[in-house]
Amino acid sequence: MILYTMMPQELIYQTENDDFGKQKIVSYEGIPLLVEMNAGQECRILRVMSSDPSHYMDERYTPGSMITLSQLS
Amino acid sequence: MENDIKNNGTESGEGQEQPKEDKPSGLMEKIQQLGQTNVPQLSQDSKIHCLTIVGQIEGHLQLPPQNKTTKYEHLIPQIVAIEQNPKIEGLLVILNTVGGDVEAGLAISEMLASLSKPTVSIVLGGGHSIGVPIAVSCDYSFIAETATMTIHPIRLTGLVIGVPQTFEYMDKMQDRVINFVTKHSNVSEQKFKDLMFDKGNLTRDIGTNVVGRDAVEYGLIDEVGGVGPALAKLNELIEINKQKEEVIVQ
Repeated sequence: MILYTMMPQELIYQTENDDFGKQKIVSYEGIPLLVEMNAGQECRILRVMSSDPSHYMDERYTPGSMITLSQLS
Repeated sequence: MENDIKNNGTESGEGQEQPKEDKPSGLMEKIQQLGQTNVPQLSQDSKIHCLTIVGQIEGHLQLPPQNKTTKYEHLIPQIVAIEQNPKIEGLLVILNTVGGDVEAGLAISEMLASLSKPTVSIVLGGGHSIGVPIAVSCDYSFIAETATMTIHPIRLTGLVIGVPQTFEYMDKMQDRVINFVTKHSNVSEQKFKDLMFDKGNLTRDIGTNVVGRDAVEYGLIDEVGGVGPALAKLNELIEINKQKEEVIVQ
């Protein structure tokens, strides 16, 4: 099937349910973060969800940086 | 879920401590433990908190992850936390939204309007449709000179039941928005409705796109300005709030 359209892809194809599960809100060291789960425990920070401006100044948790969710196991 | 785990534990007939180890090591639990062990106790707690309302305001329907959304189930607990935390003295709301769910937007607006702490909002870029009630819900509102707010009648997409009552329901919903905006800003009901139903401003659509200074002229927003004036105003409101509290104590 060939689609020739100016509509963006995501408007035509429904999102798969897995994609919804990839993003999660976690609280990491007291900072609420929206993360995208990668393989294993690694995840990438997409957004800082905190209302405290000082949380945004923390270099370790800027969007795009990777964190490991579990350091216990 | 927890019951299941417990049952499994007793069925296997092992000791009381065994089920604990059998428990699937949920990610969330580990994260909580991590947080408890090394939460940096920041002494320089910010007394002004900031809520950013960006993208679409998401209500009952979850949008695909590529959309940037503000979810009301995230914002409302934050507003509750801000209300409860005595260290937080003021709230700055930054808006750059295209609108979204009416009920979610009104819920956020009502929460902000009923917050006992001083609140100041800034519209940067855009504060369209349901962003308008959120912008006016704060004690004082700012709009950047280049920012715009689209005021238009509410609309519904998707499957609706085609009965006259559906229209009445929509009409009532629109009244809720109009009432909220007129109650919390200086715009008159007539003026707001005029803007909402105006023709010729938006291509083939009803409504008006109000730019920075015009929003102030119509009385929708209090002042044109950015972050600097907004924070100055917020600090001023915090001072007034403090003085009031002192008077009550005396």
